[in-house]
Amino acid sequence: MATATSRWRALAALLRPDSRRWAGLGLLVALASGLSLAGPLVVRRIVDLAQAGTTAAQLTSLAFLFLGLAVATQLITVVVSWFATITAWHTTNQIRLQLASHVLGLDHEFHRRHTPGELIQRVDGDVTSVSDFLGRVVPRVVGAVAMVVGMLGVLAVVDWRLAAGALAYVVITGAVIVRGRHRAVGEATDEMGAYAQLYGGIEERLTAAEDLRSNGAGAHAMWRFVEESAATMETSVRRESAFLRLWWAVQGSVAVGSSISLVVGAALVGSGSITIGTAFLMFQYVLLLERPLEDVIQQLETVQKANGAMVRVIDLLAIRPTILDNGTASPDRGPLTIEFDDVSFDYGGEGREGDERVLHDISLTIAGGRSVGIVGRTGSGKTTLSRLVLRLVEATHGELRLGGVAIADIPMAELRRRVALIPQEVELFSGTIRDNVTLFDATSSDEQVTDALRRVGLGALADGGVHRQLGSGGAGLSAGEAQLLALARVWLRNPDLVVLDEATARVDPATEVRLEAAIAELIDGRTALVIAHRLSTLRHVDEIVILDRGRVVEHGTRDALTDDGASRFHRLLELALEDAP
Amino acid sequence: MIPRSTMKSGPGVWRLAWRVSQHRPREFWAGWALFILFFTFPVLGGWLLGRGFHALESGDYSRVYWYAAAALATDVLRMTTIHAGALTWTRAWVHMQSFLRANLLAAQLASGGPEAGQPVGSSGEAITHFRDDVEDVTMFIDGLIDVSAGLAFTVLAGFVLGSIDSGAAAVLMVPLAGVAVATRTLDHRIKRYRATDRAAAAAVSGFLGDVMSAATTVKVNGAAPATLSRLGSLVDARRHTAVRDRVLDDGVQAFAQGAADVGLGFVLLVSAGAMASGAFDVGNLAVFTAYLGWLSFLPRMVGRVMARRKQAGVAFERMRGLVADGDVRNTVRTRSLPVGRRELRPRITATRPTRVPLQLLEVRGLTAQYATGGGVRDVSFTIARGSFTVLTGPIGSGKSTLLRALLGLTHGAELEGQVWWNGVEVVDRAAFFVPPNAAYLPQVPQLISDSVADNITLGEVPLAELLRALDLAAVRADIEEMPDGTATLIGPRGLRLSGGQRQRVATARAVVHSPELVVLDDLSSALDVETELELWANLAAAGMTVLAVSHRAVALERADQVLRLDAGRPAVHASR
Repeated sequence: MATATSRWRALAALLRPDSRRWAGLGLLVALASGLSLAGPLVVRRIVDLAQAGTTAAQLTSLAFLFLGLAVATQLITVVVSWFATITAWHTTNQIRLQLASHVLGLDHEFHRRHTPGELIQRVDGDVTSVSDFLGRVVPRVVGAVAMVVGMLGVLAVVDWRLAAGALAYVVITGAVIVRGRHRAVGEATDEMGAYAQLYGGIEERLTAAEDLRSNGAGAHAMWRFVEESAATMETSVRRESAFLRLWWAVQGSVAVGSSISLVVGAALVGSGSITIGTAFLMFQYVLLLERPLEDVIQQLETVQKANGAMVRVIDLLAIRPTILDNGTASPDRGPLTIEFDDVSFDYGGEGREGDERVLHDISLTIAGGRSVGIVGRTGSGKTTLSRLVLRLVEATHGELRLGGVAIADIPMAELRRRVALIPQEVELFSGTIRDNVTLFDATSSDEQVTDALRRVGLGALADGGVHRQLGSGGAGLSAGEAQLLALARVWLRNPDLVVLDEATARVDPATEVRLEAAIAELIDGRTALVIAHRLSTLRHVDEIVILDRGRVVEHGTRDALTDDGASRFHRLLELALEDAP
Repeated sequence: MIPRSTMKSGPGVWRLAWRVSQHRPREFWAGWALFILFFTFPVLGGWLLGRGFHALESGDYSRVYWYAAAALATDVLRMTTIHAGALTWTRAWVHMQSFLRANLLAAQLASGGPEAGQPVGSSGEAITHFRDDVEDVTMFIDGLIDVSAGLAFTVLAGFVLGSIDSGAAAVLMVPLAGVAVATRTLDHRIKRYRATDRAAAAAVSGFLGDVMSAATTVKVNGAAPATLSRLGSLVDARRHTAVRDRVLDDGVQAFAQGAADVGLGFVLLVSAGAMASGAFDVGNLAVFTAYLGWLSFLPRMVGRVMARRKQAGVAFERMRGLVADGDVRNTVRTRSLPVGRRELRPRITATRPTRVPLQLLEVRGLTAQYATGGGVRDVSFTIARGSFTVLTGPIGSGKSTLLRALLGLTHGAELEGQVWWNGVEVVDRAAFFVPPNAAYLPQVPQLISDSVADNITLGEVPLAELLRALDLAAVRADIEEMPDGTATLIGPRGLRLSGGQRQRVATARAVVHSPELVVLDDLSSALDVETELELWANLAAAGMTVLAVSHRAVALERADQVLRLDAGRPAVHASR
């Protein structure tokens, strides 16, 4: 957690690139406040002149002046809003990009712990809260302060006692609001929490609607809904009563203020120290204060949200990746050998024996250009093994070398270029086919993209044009086509080592045949690690490694293990026989 | 989706809004009355201040103090009223919203019966009905309250101002009418800008969502720089829409508030002569000044409530798609909803059909055809008590469609054929095929962020039966290893469990009520072959009647009969 001062320092650092815009905005806001103070001064003059006796013509010209000021005030308010919004978005868009870049650079483990929804909230939702705060609250607060200072100045010129009285009045009102604020924002946060729970619950139940309907669980789900709705009722009423206190403070101060202005006016006019016009000026100023005060109260929730958001943004920026990009050595060109030299891995003592994420004393050498099937039960460490090769995680003990170079010594950009992954669930982006193959990289030509698609058997997709849109989550592609598209991504990059993690688990046997042909062509001449549940997927690999509870228990050529009646692989083949009709 | 033409054209927005408001009539009318009362106090308060300034001008200082005190007392009364009014109205507001949400949710979750509505596509989109559409309807009702209160103030204030100076009062109406017109005409544009801005915002968060879900893909492909530059152009586009949206919105607001000042300018202009002659004194000016801020309320609300009426109409139209028969009246079905602070909320025990022990299930000529071409056609088979039937076939051959059609879960498809249970036709299949008669495990089961036990039982079930279900689903060891056992919270959508654990917890859910028939869609993608084998053995040992989709030999070998589907038609029907 950042301390309050370091938080403000961090906020200031984020604002610094746009500091001149912010200064300009401050000037505009002060000007707007000054203008709104001028109108009541004109009315004061009108009242005093009318008392003293004057011509209608003189009053009319003053009335025109008042009208002009009213219109000008409105115009400048809009200009302030425009400039404030532009500046706030300009600044916060920089923060968004900085955060997104930071998050993408964090460890794989970080992404396992945080759901995408949470990260969207951090990178976009929280920054939008900050943006609202900067664009809406800050100008209003600055405006309100400028207005109060200006009023005190005007009153001081008229009569120092008025200014002193008004100052005391403002200080008391401010203190009441600030004190009530804490409780009000606390209650507002509770209410938001209750609603988040309500909507989260509804969304979850809708996602699970078929499960619930087919299990006759409607009544149970409705009972939960009523409980959650009751919580929104409870917190809404509490929030409302907390905000009503604040509202009492504002409205009460205006009511007391206008009565006081009348009483004080009566006393001072009676003693002859001020004119009736000045008494009326005080009355107008009290009414003028109401608006910014109510605005500030309305924006309290924005302040609270932004406060929490700011803390989370800064905390997120403070998380450092543990996998660093410091390497300078390059393995030789061509297919990469893989050497596990007594490698162990666990997640900081959290893992127990049998935990899927733990590996023990792995020593294994895979020659360049060989394809190796990795087999084992769920939780045996297959996926962790592949993450080590991709350097998504780092060995806690021992060393992993690719092409003879320790993996940490290879520059990250080079590693990413030479080692590719084809995962079980292909992640697609809502964008064009081209975007999905190149991953937004502009350097590949359309011809290269088309060629990659053809090579993996998606010629039909390429023929329709690579600039066509795919829906979110790859709507319009079957699971098999999505897998083929992932192969095309890899083709385009021409890597030296390919990791296939259950790449064909989600497709039916017919599609699998189509995929297998494309995979066989892709891994030809490259080193390949193939992880699979279905043993049929491993028909074409050269070697088999069997993992059990994080240890290598069998390693040999596929043919030798198949023929050896005592091998584990042989037993698994007998158990599975999955393609038997 | 039901074709539009067959939807019943329902009652209008006013009628529906009335029904919503009368869900809790006491809160509604009390809130309304307090709001009207609240708006009448400022008329009195302003008039008293005016008298005060009048007394000040005429040098009668002792009366000034009395008027100031009276004005203050009026304000205290006004604030007490609004305190009670706002609290009452908050309750009415939550009651109305919960009422609409309850009707939508109940329609979505009903297993058959008259209340069952159309299932929605994505839950992300559906949530907008529960949040935004419900909000739109209550905002309309809220706006009506505001308009009636504003009207009360305007009429009373109009009398006072008219009696002071009818000319000045009339000229005051000019900018106020301008506010009503501007609010009304610009409302469409505001909404359009808002929609564009929302779309731009959705593009940003959608893209970020894609990127964050695919963080590993982006990482291992070294695609971060290219992805960020795409994000940069999206956030830039959004800045433009956001600025446009905000400036117009703030502009309209500034205009509405500024109209009061402009109105005062007009009054000063018109009354310049009267002031110079002393006929229009500072007391009168004080009354006008005090009323101005309040007077701009009604025109602002009138413009707005007209727009809100339209929005409420759209909202009802959208919500109609979620409820039974697409009949909008079902969104305002009367129901008891004890969400109040001191109301009792007894836990409703699930109403389940009575158990009808299965002897023989017969499926006769079942067809479920989608307009897009997918589906199954003319499938017939029988299942005997205690038997194990495996359904197999390539992806897209209609396996899931067949199971869902059998259980009455299909929507939007043309259905034919019958299902007979012990020689009796099952008419409302969705209502009949729930535990204890049948239980279903979808291909990708969905769990909710509750405890393991709650996810399995979905209601009250004795502990012994829960443990038995865990054993059957081969998940008991996993659960017992967790620190809180069956009380362990599994996180949103069960994300704290591994994929295989989720599948097995859902399997336990399917067997916990010892259903007469267990229907399991493909388990193989999430389970390794040894676990799948264990599961089939357990279900057989428990004597359960099972209908399951599988590709694996371990299932096919154990099956009493195998149904193979190919392109929606039965290809092989092999019995042992």
